[in-house]
Amino acid sequence: MALPATELVGHDEQSAPPSEGERRAIAGRSPLRIAFDRLRKDPIAVVCFIVVLFFVLIAIFADQWCDLLGVSTETVRASDFIDFSNQLPKKGPPNHGFDPEHPFGVAPGTGTDNLAVWIKGCQTSMFLATMAAVLSTIIGVTLGLIAGFLGGIVDSIISFATDLFLTFPFLVGALAIAPILNERFATDPEKLRTVSFWALIAILTFFGWMGVARLVRGEVISLREREFVKAARVIGAPTRRILVKEMLPNLIAPIVISFSLGLPAYVAAEAGLSYLGIGVFQRESWGRTIAAATNWWELYPQYLLAPVIGIAILVVALNLLGDAIRDAFDPKTRR
Amino acid sequence: MKRTKAFAAGISATALALTLAACGGGGDDDTSSNSANNDDLSKGATTSGGKNPDAVGPAPELEGQQEGGELTVLAPDPDDGPALLDPAALWSVTDNGIAQDLLFRSLTTFRQGEDGSYELVPDLATDLGTPNEDFTEWRFTLKDGIKWETGDPVTAEEVAFGIKRSFDGDAFATGPGTSYSKPYFEGGEDYNGPYASGDDFPGVTVEGNDIVMKFSTPFPEMDYYSIFPAIGPVPLDAKAADYGLNPLSTGPYKVERFVPNQELVLVPNDQWDPATDPARRQLVDKYTFKFDFNPQIAGETVLSDAGATTVVTALQSTDYNKAQQDGLTDQILVGPQPCTGFVMPNFDKIPEVEVRRALAYAYDYENIWSAAGEVVGVTLANGVTDPDLGFGLLPPGMAGRTPFQGFDGEGISFDPDKSKELLAEAGFEPGEYEVSFVYDASTPEGEAAAEQRQRGYEEGGFAVKKYPYTAGSLYDVWTDPENALYKKINLLGTAWCQDWPSASTFMPVIIGTGSAYNTGNFSVPEVDAEIERIKLLPVDEQADAWGALEQSAMTDYQPVINTGYYQNIFGFGTSIQGLANDTSVGGAPDYRTIFISE
Repeated sequence: MALPATELVGHDEQSAPPSEGERRAIAGRSPLRIAFDRLRKDPIAVVCFIVVLFFVLIAIFADQWCDLLGVSTETVRASDFIDFSNQLPKKGPPNHGFDPEHPFGVAPGTGTDNLAVWIKGCQTSMFLATMAAVLSTIIGVTLGLIAGFLGGIVDSIISFATDLFLTFPFLVGALAIAPILNERFATDPEKLRTVSFWALIAILTFFGWMGVARLVRGEVISLREREFVKAARVIGAPTRRILVKEMLPNLIAPIVISFSLGLPAYVAAEAGLSYLGIGVFQRESWGRTIAAATNWWELYPQYLLAPVIGIAILVVALNLLGDAIRDAFDPKTRR
Repeated sequence: MKRTKAFAAGISATALALTLAACGGGGDDDTSSNSANNDDLSKGATTSGGKNPDAVGPAPELEGQQEGGELTVLAPDPDDGPALLDPAALWSVTDNGIAQDLLFRSLTTFRQGEDGSYELVPDLATDLGTPNEDFTEWRFTLKDGIKWETGDPVTAEEVAFGIKRSFDGDAFATGPGTSYSKPYFEGGEDYNGPYASGDDFPGVTVEGNDIVMKFSTPFPEMDYYSIFPAIGPVPLDAKAADYGLNPLSTGPYKVERFVPNQELVLVPNDQWDPATDPARRQLVDKYTFKFDFNPQIAGETVLSDAGATTVVTALQSTDYNKAQQDGLTDQILVGPQPCTGFVMPNFDKIPEVEVRRALAYAYDYENIWSAAGEVVGVTLANGVTDPDLGFGLLPPGMAGRTPFQGFDGEGISFDPDKSKELLAEAGFEPGEYEVSFVYDASTPEGEAAAEQRQRGYEEGGFAVKKYPYTAGSLYDVWTDPENALYKKINLLGTAWCQDWPSASTFMPVIIGTGSAYNTGNFSVPEVDAEIERIKLLPVDEQADAWGALEQSAMTDYQPVINTGYYQNIFGFGTSIQGLANDTSVGGAPDYRTIFISE
């Protein structure tokens, strides 16, 4: 992307000819190291990283947080918390002040603690998005490498498959699979709970690997003609070694970038699917809370705001961090 | 009639709208009392106002009635309205409300009397029909001067043709014919309507202007059954499949536009003669019905200025709360429905009466309703919220009914200790007896309600297994013994509405052996014998006999657990006047009395 002239000037000023010592230090740093140093100096990246780290810690230690804060997602007797005349909580928001026992209040109708549900929802989102991003990256990179390097008929087949999956509407696939699983595991709720969770990861992965595959394939095709690859071939290195040792390290940048930009997309997708009722099942999820809370917007806005703000902050932070990582890896778009 | 989607709503959550329930009942809903209260229910708001065979048109003038204006009626999702407007196929609260009040006249109909109660009056017939001694023959005489919207006169042959069409259980599977035409009429079991079995049917014949019906089973309630559009005229050249898309009207309005399950626009029918019609009026210039409407938008619209001439047939509980909070209570009408929700323990799997009784004390009524998104004591109510309502089978207001107050007569409430005691009597330690049920998992409210229910049972000493179901209506499971889930569960359910104000449309369906909606397969020979005996009693003794049977069956067997009586919340705009809850079709706006004020 083109940069404004002012920024170009700024860079010129900064990049005064380095001294001998500096030049030696630079020479010894890997591309990863350089990128990391750039990231560290990028305030947006640092802030976003802290935000993401916050959510990651919430997700990893969800149970501990709940214990620490004394909240739980267990079913409580609604009448202990809910005023049946208007279905709103007896204590805490929206009609009463802050309730230290339930910092986010309790859900209307049921009296379940909102904070506990929010924390568990964060866990669901983070775990699901991470799994989906890792799996789709692995699949995408593998197929991209093979297609790009081998070329010919293999490339044609993989490229065709990529295009095919890109044309297939993701939402329709998700809509179709949910009832099939429900029917199949209807008599075993425990299994259904697990299966539906992994099925959602599978669906997200299934329809999420194409971007990475295309990106990697393109990179590989250009790398394939480079001297060091040709040299490796000439000395008879096996294909596997060329792919893993010669090519992969040069692909770190696109892989990390697509991974970090994939994460927020999956967080949003999970919430969207859960909102539609075809996402996670019998588990706390931000999307499900949003689905339940939309009706209450006017009477109890806090109920809807907690998951919406959670998703918004997490997705924005992940996206900005992803952008920053891309900028750090790719000198051409460096700010 | 069944409350298909409504029950999913009741037990599981979504909006309260019943689509496949049918009709009946009378009611005394005072149009001026718009606010919600339990008194409506306990005072017997669904009582019939009796019969008035001498009523003649035109319908009495309403207080302050005005003509003109265009009315919009929004039926929120999941109420998707009529798929076909065929008289023989109509058997649901929403559809019958529209069809009976505005479009299709039948032999008899209900109207709101001066005291607000609903009375049975002649419609196309000159009176309420003449039965013979043992109710095996009924004779109705067609009024003169009844016209189709085309201006052609309606003939007795066309009425007979319409009635015969109701026997066609294949073409009109959703209609009331399979429940009331086929079992009662002479030769009805073998007759499949004029399209399949030909026009020659001795059960329904025409003599001059008279329609004569013969019955193999005595049918003292033919005059009530005649309120259905299925007991009305259909042109002789009507096709089986397409007539419902383009039906001819005999009522005060005719169809201008009909998109099945989406939209219906009605305009005045100039061939309708008010002098022949004791019940209907033609006050509004245009009706626009929109079905399957977004519930949030419907609620927003009707409570704002934009919705001054709008009626919403089922308001969400959040909109109800909002209106309460904003002081808009005069735009809300809470209307009782003659419907009861049940948990039905499988009689073969739970044979111990103590256990079935324990289940009634382990059901945490108010908390389950609250989690399901119902307004406790308003959209669902029973003896827990108002002791006068009781926990019986029959909905409040039905003749002969005494509120059932538990096997010991002390009332029922959520009482885990009592549940455990009863389990101990049956010889079970807490946590030993496993109950299992299926619930609607497609909404957060459905899951929340199931969790509350599980918690209640567990506190009451049961072990619980619950199965989520998202593939459709819970009736798919409850009524299908081949279903894999059916085999796993021992608690089923039904929500049932009366077809007309008689326990004979209720008791046999709920506790009679072999009834499709007796999903718990309750079967006791003495109860069946009593049902058969009561059916043959003189009409004026039946009500009390049904009431006594309800008491004895509930006390001795606890065949079902009452999970609440239903009430519907209507919302209406500031210019709407005369809105009443028409319990005669099971709880829909009474379109015969609505008008728009300037």
